[in-house]
Amino acid sequence: MNAWVILDAVLVGAVVLVAAVAVLVRSRAAATSAFLVFGILLALLWARLQAPDVAMAEAALGGGVAGALLADALERRRPPRPVRRRAPVPLILAIAAGAASAAELGPLARDNVADSGVSHPITAVLLNFRSLDTLLEIAVVVIAAVGAGAIARERVQPERGIDPIRRALASILIPILLLLSGWILAAGSTQPGGAFQAGAVLAAALIIGHLCGVPFTTPRGRGGAALAGIGVLCFVVLGVVGPATGGVWLQLDPAWAGAAILAVEAVLTIGIAVALAMISLAAGSRDASRRDDASRGATP
Amino acid sequence: MTATTLLLAAGAIVFVLGVVVTLTVTDLIRRVIALNVASGGVMLILLRLADRGADPDPVPQALVLTGIVVMAAVTGLALTLARRVEGDGDDLEPDEDAAGGAP
Repeated sequence: MNAWVILDAVLVGAVVLVAAVAVLVRSRAAATSAFLVFGILLALLWARLQAPDVAMAEAALGGGVAGALLADALERRRPPRPVRRRAPVPLILAIAAGAASAAELGPLARDNVADSGVSHPITAVLLNFRSLDTLLEIAVVVIAAVGAGAIARERVQPERGIDPIRRALASILIPILLLLSGWILAAGSTQPGGAFQAGAVLAAALIIGHLCGVPFTTPRGRGGAALAGIGVLCFVVLGVVGPATGGVWLQLDPAWAGAAILAVEAVLTIGIAVALAMISLAAGSRDASRRDDASRGATP
Repeated sequence: MTATTLLLAAGAIVFVLGVVVTLTVTDLIRRVIALNVASGGVMLILLRLADRGADPDPVPQALVLTGIVVMAAVTGLALTLARRVEGDGDDLEPDEDAAGGAP
């Protein structure tokens, strides 16, 4: 028994324990805190399971954006009242069905990475071999963004009257996040990284920019929806290229697949970032009298 | 092999915990958290299964990556819905139709 085994055992034990705390504790604040810890522990565990891409996405999205959304929701400390129950079973069944159908495709994917245009197998699966899944996923995110915007009671407005400290914070953080996002995107072709992780980081930059009153960082209205949807549109256009040149739907020619994947990933990054930022801002939007409260807890 | 079993069991426990609480709790925020925890259990099982050989299987990893993004979107939409259902916290009366009801 070496040190890694002990670390893994402790990590798994902690994941189960924190998961139990997160779902069983009565207080919303405690549950949210436990869930944030759960996200961090999961990211560590994914890294231990040789899944650095997933670990990055978990840290940025599962623990980051989702955690920020929950922390923001905490502000409303209403005593919970009973509501009608609605079961989200179809979603879970869909995830399980996806798991079952992916049983023996791994070796096939790894053997054909050379034809995909990228050398990182996960990017090859996401944007070439199983790009239909990714296309539909982006569509889900865009629909969620439009839905959240429609449900939210107030329209999201750019922040005004920001104090100099927040402006200074934004001027430091946003360039770093933009650089990081671009690097993660470009790295995705050859190593862990890609559109989702880059999109999550860019979404964080947009949310910070919105909260710090930076111009043009508040995605809203038709412009925001159009930017969010542009990823789906580009993906569909890319998908039609195959049939137009005598191939099949979403087929990429190895000759130009690498460039096409990087281009569509760049557009997807923007689309995902705008959609996630729209969801976050819709979930956390406040009207003018409560604007100061909106700044709390939305920093992934 | 025991490590695999341990991780699969942990994933199953986390998933069942999350699903049971999702279906039984009435607090909407806690329900969203429980759904996220349940998805964490699914991801744990998928990623453990992906990490069997010398090279990890990219297909389940890509599925999990997709799942994380979808869960983040679902969480945001669910919280927006929860917020609309519960009101903004200023009004003590739960307002069901909530048409333009900024306080």
